[in-house]
Amino acid sequence: MALPISYSWRSLIARGTRTTFTVLVIALVVIATTLFWSLIASLKRTLVSSGSPENLVVMRKGATNDGSSQLTLESLQAIRFFEGIARDADGNPLISPELVVQPFFATTDGGRENVLVRGVEPMALRVHDEVVIAEGRMFTPSSGETVVGRGVSRRYKGASLGDELKFGRGTWKVVGILEAGGSSFESEVWVDARELANDAKRTLPYSGVRLRVAPGADMDALVRRIGDDPRYALEATREIDYYESLSSSANTLYVIVIGLAVLAGVGAVFGATNTMYAAVQSRTAEIGTLRALGFSRGSILLAFLSESVMMALFAFALGAIGASLLGRSISWLLGGIAFGAATFTTNVIQLHVAAGDLLMPLALSLLIGVFGGLAPAARAARMRPVDALRKA
Amino acid sequence: MKFLPFVLRNLARNKLRSLLTASAIALAIALVCILRTMPAGMDAFLSSIASNTRISTHNEAGMVYQMPYSYLQKVRAVPGVVAAISWQWFGGAVDASRGVEFPNFAVDPEDFGRVYEDWNVSQQALDDFRKYRDAAIVGRGTLEKKGWKLGDVITLQSTLFGLELSFRIVGEVPNPRAVQLYFQREYLVQAFAALGTPLDSTGMIWSRIDDPERVGPVMRQIDEMFRNGEAETTSETEKSFFGNFFGSLKGIVTVIMIVAGIVTLCIVFIAANTASMSVRERVGEIAILKAIGFRSRTIFTTLLAEAVLLSTVAGAAGALISLALTSLLRSSLVSTGPQLGPLTGFVVTDAILVQAIFIAFFIGILSGWLPALGASRRSVAQTLREVF
Repeated sequence: MALPISYSWRSLIARGTRTTFTVLVIALVVIATTLFWSLIASLKRTLVSSGSPENLVVMRKGATNDGSSQLTLESLQAIRFFEGIARDADGNPLISPELVVQPFFATTDGGRENVLVRGVEPMALRVHDEVVIAEGRMFTPSSGETVVGRGVSRRYKGASLGDELKFGRGTWKVVGILEAGGSSFESEVWVDARELANDAKRTLPYSGVRLRVAPGADMDALVRRIGDDPRYALEATREIDYYESLSSSANTLYVIVIGLAVLAGVGAVFGATNTMYAAVQSRTAEIGTLRALGFSRGSILLAFLSESVMMALFAFALGAIGASLLGRSISWLLGGIAFGAATFTTNVIQLHVAAGDLLMPLALSLLIGVFGGLAPAARAARMRPVDALRKA
Repeated sequence: MKFLPFVLRNLARNKLRSLLTASAIALAIALVCILRTMPAGMDAFLSSIASNTRISTHNEAGMVYQMPYSYLQKVRAVPGVVAAISWQWFGGAVDASRGVEFPNFAVDPEDFGRVYEDWNVSQQALDDFRKYRDAAIVGRGTLEKKGWKLGDVITLQSTLFGLELSFRIVGEVPNPRAVQLYFQREYLVQAFAALGTPLDSTGMIWSRIDDPERVGPVMRQIDEMFRNGEAETTSETEKSFFGNFFGSLKGIVTVIMIVAGIVTLCIVFIAANTASMSVRERVGEIAILKAIGFRSRTIFTTLLAEAVLLSTVAGAAGALISLALTSLLRSSLVSTGPQLGPLTGFVVTDAILVQAIFIAFFIGILSGWLPALGASRRSVAQTLREVF
């Protein structure tokens, strides 16, 4: 016969101070790991959500990102006529030649950061169809206008709609705000490609090309076609793979966070074990009585184990709420968290605890509960009723 | 002191509990130490590399905006400038698929030793650096990470230019935090010439000024000289340059510090739980001690000493654990790339160790105070009646 679940629950409440301390310890471990984990997950989400599965990035062979690539006009002309590229109603290929430059921007708190400025042509908005002008309008070419990402407009001086924004050699009028579902395009500034090339005194007008593959076309064939052309030394990558590769530095950070979680988790297991041992010890008589009444060893073990797991789960709930509130306030206070990207530009990310980010902390709390309760529960179950009653 | 054996006996009474508590505290302190190496690495980096007589001059618009190479001669001619060299980012990668693992620059070898006097690069290395076209000087951090030795020949593939260059390592910057690789600008110029494109610009100019007092005026003079020129410049001290360069890491550092604070709070609760459990179980004997004449203050002190001793010893053990774990982290193959810069040096400094032990000491006091006070204040008659 099993002990009712309320026996474990009430035992927890009966020893309020001890339970509270342990719950707080586990909750704090949950907060610490959740914060760190979701910081990296937020970065990863920002990068991985960038790009479209139907798009290709074309860069110079050997360039790891479009900030370090250059493209000649001849190769751009050649790409235009490759097969498999989507076309609009007028028959123009959906090709967006782009120039990427990383000038300094002044942050509102007096620092300076490199921001990715993308020089584009009108076709860009059709190739990057996830990017929308959320406020204002698109810039007019050759008129010193710019549209800035949502993250940029919050973080830098003079980057709000209608402001005069200083970067590069000139001053630009902000006429629109870009949104792209929280992806890294929201950390970018877009201007007319030719104006940017003039400002940056670039001899080669473009860094790379983004293009849309025609529906039903063989994407891999196009990738090979571009990469195999010996005249231009180009390389095509799927846009989503490109952003995935930019986010690879986040993967090594996950290793560090898991290390942190293991250390903190083992510490919390020791804390929980202490509490549960004390619980078993102070209830020796009770356990003896229960055994004398006919409750089996297994049900005693289960009762103490569920007590410990319950405690850990309650702590998890508390910690998850704490972490999401804390994350939100940190993000709000700092105006987004800057993350240096592989392009040596700044990604502005919002620290957001997503439901999926809570899986690791949930697993951690369960393990803390189980391992923290196992040894004490086993000790309780091993007690001989006669001894237990006599000791008490 | 004469109560020390009593305190030790009490700690040894529930060995398992003391051991579990101490291990929990030790692990948490180790964690705090490791987390703190990240912001501390930044500070140490800034103070270890930054000389107050060295300045950087770069295009006002940003690092990727170049300056004419002729600016170097103009900067050298400014009174107060002892020596100056240019830096050109090469963006070389050992393995293109893994990206740039450490910064590498083409520099002017003649003045290298004079601009970086304080780096203690050996005279032999400086001579070889001038003499051999393909010579490279590499920071010790990268030499250790890559397992390279002096005399090795390595090849870097530029992610910025369509170029591949081989270098012979002729010397090191003897500082474990130094990661850069420097090679001769002339080598890059020749490689460019072979491609048919002249290299006539540079990204940065670093100069040494003769007198710290003169740094401000010299920087203003340089920037004034290039005002309205082909490229307008910003000059700043080395510390300000790197402070700005890694300024975008501030947000991450804030999160790390908050996490470290949370873990510290965790330790307080673990320790306080143990202290309150031990005191509660001993209510009866504490009453007896008082009944036979021990003063409340003595009882308070011994209980507090128990908590402080446990947590300080555990803290010291935790500090040692952090030393072992960080050396494991440093030698592991985990590479976080250059973006996190000095945050991932994982060097536990003496200051961090000492602070960790102090934190543990204060946690002992904080966690032991209330339970000890409560126990020492309880009425004897009341307790004895309850317990027996």
